[in-house]
Amino acid sequence: MTLNQLKPSSMVQSMPIHFPRWRRRIYSIIGLLIALIGVVAVATAIGSVHIPFLTTFRSLLSQLPLVDITSGLSSTTETIIMEIRLPRVILAGLVGAALALAGAAYQGLFRNPLADPYLIGVAQGASLGAVVGFILPINWHGMGFGIIPILAFAGAIISVAIVYSLARVGKTLPVTTLILAGVALGALWGSIVSYLIITSGEKMHGILFWLMGSFALSQWSEVKVVLPYIVVGVAVILIYSRSLNIMQLNEEQAQQLGVNVEKVKLILLAAATLITAAAVSFVGTIGFVGILVPHAVRLVWGPDYRFLLPLSVLSGAIFLILADLVARTALAPTEIPIGVITAVCGAPFFLYLLRRKKRVVFF
Amino acid sequence: MIKLELQSVDIAYGHNMVVKDLNFEVMPGEMVGLIGPNGSGKSTIIKAISRVITLCSGKIMLDGKDVFKMPRGDLARSLGVVPQMSILPSAFTAFEVVLMGRNPHLGLLQYEGERDFTITWRAMEMTATHSLAQRKVGELSGGEIQRIVIARVLTQEPKSILLDEPTANLDIRHQVDILDLIKNLCLENNLMVVIALHDLNLAAQYCDRLILINNGQVHAQGTPEEVITSQNMKEVYGADSCVYAHPVNGLPAVLVKAGNSHHAKPRSMIQGGIV
Repeated sequence: MTLNQLKPSSMVQSMPIHFPRWRRRIYSIIGLLIALIGVVAVATAIGSVHIPFLTTFRSLLSQLPLVDITSGLSSTTETIIMEIRLPRVILAGLVGAALALAGAAYQGLFRNPLADPYLIGVAQGASLGAVVGFILPINWHGMGFGIIPILAFAGAIISVAIVYSLARVGKTLPVTTLILAGVALGALWGSIVSYLIITSGEKMHGILFWLMGSFALSQWSEVKVVLPYIVVGVAVILIYSRSLNIMQLNEEQAQQLGVNVEKVKLILLAAATLITAAAVSFVGTIGFVGILVPHAVRLVWGPDYRFLLPLSVLSGAIFLILADLVARTALAPTEIPIGVITAVCGAPFFLYLLRRKKRVVFF
Repeated sequence: MIKLELQSVDIAYGHNMVVKDLNFEVMPGEMVGLIGPNGSGKSTIIKAISRVITLCSGKIMLDGKDVFKMPRGDLARSLGVVPQMSILPSAFTAFEVVLMGRNPHLGLLQYEGERDFTITWRAMEMTATHSLAQRKVGELSGGEIQRIVIARVLTQEPKSILLDEPTANLDIRHQVDILDLIKNLCLENNLMVVIALHDLNLAAQYCDRLILINNGQVHAQGTPEEVITSQNMKEVYGADSCVYAHPVNGLPAVLVKAGNSHHAKPRSMIQGGIV
């Protein structure tokens, strides 16, 4: 049957233009992309050592290919911008993008507004790995960073793998069992972590700082390790955004609309877990980004995952770069743990959005 | 020409056999009603045909091809399903939900184009839901949601449609609206329609053929007159019912009488004031 051959109904009415809303979302994506570039530049310019904005911009531009500007900076300033601030800003952007996207993907996958990237044991697994790394007397610096990120990453992946194998029923993966297994295993890891912290003695401060998250020690070597995971994971999740939309119906209807639900679940789960693990392994389990950013995006631009996902990537990056900027400048030279900033700045903004749109269904 | 064949189909939930050795065929342009008591396996059969659950044994052939060996996308292009209770994501607009029907026609990286929008809009006109296009589905009534789901199925451009109790929870007017719509679609487009219905009177009015399912097996099949008989009603539903001819078109109509199931107490006892 083709609908073109069908007799039109008596009430023929020309199709209204549905594109403006879509166009608005596409403009928003472009707008946020420009804003992100601006935020990167501004965040690189601000810091404890005063460097004028214009100088910073020229220095950044001179690094781009095809741009023929000599920065004309002293090597010290150049080092501060290129080796200290820029990797930190970029790592914050990557982590923010990854956490926001993973949060949006988990919320869609579980059809649950309370889902965040840490729901199924990623964060607790990473924390356990990291704490073990702090306690073990290993001094290995093979790739420009220590053992802690590697153990954190391994802890996150192993944790989700255990949850996954526990939750599997035959060939299917029921979402409720997955969440429950994740929460239970997360609680187990959490209690081990608490015990290890109490008995860790003088290492306690370092551990607690890691758990709340910090970009203080960001370097290019870390960016290089994290970047490929996040780029691949983000690409995979974005490819499946239409399937994620259809899975909002429910699994049965999604199958009847031609979506291979079990395959899509597995792919999205793997990709979201991978980017979350990569994001937290270097900078700690930064909270609030993964649950707040996707909801804020939903409130402003609607629930369509094809726009929600890219908009979450951009908003997450911008949000965490700004949060990190506050974390390192507000009480300089003391650094505030970034997890504190994300909640303190993010919660009021989110509550404002929620109040402003309280009469609208948004999930 | 698309034809549906169930060949000695067995379905079980765990060790509990729900459907046993089920055989039937549906031809194009035919509207077939699945009737039977609660738990007789009607919904299970619909789910199996749309490959949401697996078979223990037997085969389901659609157009000569095994449903369980087709890619899901191919199946969704030839078979659309209207489920019993449609849970729709409340924040999406009606248009967005209907547009989802285009999914099986689109590649992984493809976005909907002009043609997809036109087909979607056409389907919404046919189901009289075009005025709801920009409303959020969370704000719609049960009847409107059911029509949106039917529009979504039409947007799939299927050759056959399965419906599982599409009129449950609807008032009489909306029941008739929905079934008239489906009947017309079936006639005008030579669609194959399989519809599970509780309401025997509606089934008799709208279906060309009825299949009476009891305990996962075909108890009787044929025209409404052949299937809806006092004898069959007694055997399957266990209640004495009265089958009459509809005063307008002579199709069978079932009227029930209070107090004739095995739970019933003598009427005098009720009046005697137990309550």
